[in-house]
Amino acid sequence: MSRPEIYSPEGLRIDGRRWNEVRHIKCAINTHPASSDGSSIIEQGNTKVMCNVVGPAEPTSSSGGGGAKSNTNSFANENKVTLSVKATVAPFSTIDRRKRSGNDSRIQEMCLTIQHIFEEAVMGHLQPRSQIVISLYILAQDGGMLQACINAASLALIDAGIPMYDYVCACTAGMHDTEVLLDLNRLEENDMPFLTMATLGATRKVSLMQLETRVGVDKLEPMMAAAMSGCHYLRQIMDAQVRKHGKNRLARVGA
Amino acid sequence: MPDVSGSSDEEDEGLFSLDPEADGEARITGVVKGKHIVTPGELVTSDSTWMRGHGTYSVGTSTYSSVAGTITRVNKLLSVTPLRGRYVPEVGDHVIGRIIDVGTRSWHVDIGAKQAAVLMLGSVNLPGGVQRRKSESDELQMRVFLKEGDLLNAEVQAVFTDGAASLHTRSLSYGKLRNGYFFSIPSSLIIRSKIHTIELPGGVDLVMGVNGYLWLRKHTQQLGEQGVSITRLAEEAGWEIYSDENEYIAPSIRETIARYANAIKALEYGEVGVSEARVIAAYEASKEYKGVGDMVENDAKRRIAQQALVFIQ
Repeated sequence: MSRPEIYSPEGLRIDGRRWNEVRHIKCAINTHPASSDGSSIIEQGNTKVMCNVVGPAEPTSSSGGGGAKSNTNSFANENKVTLSVKATVAPFSTIDRRKRSGNDSRIQEMCLTIQHIFEEAVMGHLQPRSQIVISLYILAQDGGMLQACINAASLALIDAGIPMYDYVCACTAGMHDTEVLLDLNRLEENDMPFLTMATLGATRKVSLMQLETRVGVDKLEPMMAAAMSGCHYLRQIMDAQVRKHGKNRLARVGA
Repeated sequence: MPDVSGSSDEEDEGLFSLDPEADGEARITGVVKGKHIVTPGELVTSDSTWMRGHGTYSVGTSTYSSVAGTITRVNKLLSVTPLRGRYVPEVGDHVIGRIIDVGTRSWHVDIGAKQAAVLMLGSVNLPGGVQRRKSESDELQMRVFLKEGDLLNAEVQAVFTDGAASLHTRSLSYGKLRNGYFFSIPSSLIIRSKIHTIELPGGVDLVMGVNGYLWLRKHTQQLGEQGVSITRLAEEAGWEIYSDENEYIAPSIRETIARYANAIKALEYGEVGVSEARVIAAYEASKEYKGVGDMVENDAKRRIAQQALVFIQ
C-alpha cells in the first residue's frame, strides 16, 4: 500500500468527508470564568484551541505580564485600545512530543496576524487607555491552526463583552489537482496548496487571506469562494453557541 | 452544506418588535427589557428614528448590535446590554477597591473596571474631622493613611469622559476595610439594590461592591451605634479608621465567614445573580454540608445554587 489517497475517485477524502464538508466543530464559551473576562474552547476536527481574554483593563508596563504598574504608562494609547496576542503551543499538541521555545517566529507571526485582524474588528475607540490581552493555547494540532485560533479569539472576545463589528470567522480551503477541498486536516495541508481566509461575519468583507504556497491564478477564485462559504457556515455554528449560552445565562441571573 | 440545528430555535425566530407605533406599554413604563438575545453584527432595527446607545453601531440608517446581550430601550434610545463584561462605573455606586499606586495628592485604585479609579486626597476623611484642612504634611504622609495593597470601600463620585471613575470615602460607612476576607465574582452577577452593606445572620457583615468585589467581615459596631452623638461622629473618627490591626476574630466567626464565602462562590459557579436574599438562602442550604471545605465540590456548588435560585431576587 502506498500513501493514503487524499481524494478518492468516489469523491471521499481521507477522513470520509466530501469536498465541501467541514470537520466536526465543537465550541463553548465562558469556559474559564474565574481566570479571565472572556474564554472559549473550539475544536475543529482534531485541532483544539483554548482562548482567554483579559480586559479591557488598565495597561501594564510589561504588556500583559504581571509587571509593576507605573503612573506614566507608555503602553497606554490615548485614543484606542491596545491589543496584545500571545500563543502557547502545548508540547503534546502533535504526535511527536517536543518542547517548543516561546519565540518561534511562525507563532509570533501568527500572533501579529491575529492582532491586526482584531484591531480592525474590535471597536477600539470605545476603550481608550486600556489593554486587551488575548492568550491562545494550542492544545492539539491537526491542520488549520490559524483558523482555529481566530475563531477561538472571536468567541472569547464576544464572551468578554467587548464591542465588535461582527464575528471574525476563519476557514481554510485547498486545491487538489482541480478539486477544491474545504477545511483541510494536517495530512491534506501537507499535500496541497491551501489558503486561510477570515471574513467579518456573514459578509463578503475579507479581513485576512493568507496563502503560503504557489497556486495557479485560475485556481484561486474557487478556493476563495469555498473558504468564504466555510466562514459563513462557521459563523452560524458559533452564533448558535453564543445564543444558547446567553439564553441559559439570562434564565439564571434573573434580575 | 449541512444545516445548523441550533439556529432554528423557535423563540429566536421572531425579530424583537421595535415598531415605534406599537409600543403603547413601553411608553408608560419608559423602559422595556427585551429578553431576546442579539449577537454582534445582528441587525437590531433598520428604522432610523431610533437613537443609538451603547452596544450598537450604525451603517447607513440601520442599527446593528456590537455585543452579545439583550436590547434595552429608554424612550427613543436603543442600547444593547452585554451579558458579561467588565464593570462600568456609574455615579453613586458602592464599590470595593484595592490601592495599586500612591501618587501625588491622589491614590490609584483597582475597582475591576477598564481603567483604575482615582481617589483624591481631598475626597477622604482624615483623622480629626471633616472640617480639618489638608496640609502639606498630609500630602507627604499619604502612605500612612492608605498604601499599596490596602482595601477600601468607596462611592463613585464622578465618571470622566473616557470611563475612568473618581471615588470618595466622605462617609463613615466608607473607608479602609479590615477584620475580614476579600474575594471577587463577575460584576454582572451583582444585583443592584439600595443597600450594599448587609448584616448577615451569624455575626458577619457583607460589603457587596457593585463592581463584583466582596468583603466579608466580622460584625463590628459602626461608630454611629456606639452612642456617640451624630454631630460629633466625624470628630470621633480618629486614627482607628486607618488602622491595619485586625481585632480578635473567634474561630467560629472565621468559619462562618468561610461558609458565606463558599456559598457565594457556589452562586457564582451556578451563574446565579447575587442578592441579600439569595446569599442567606445559599447559606442556609449550605448547612447540609458539615465541613466548609465540602462546599468546594462542584456537585455541592450546583445544589446550593439550585436552592438559592428559588428566590427571584
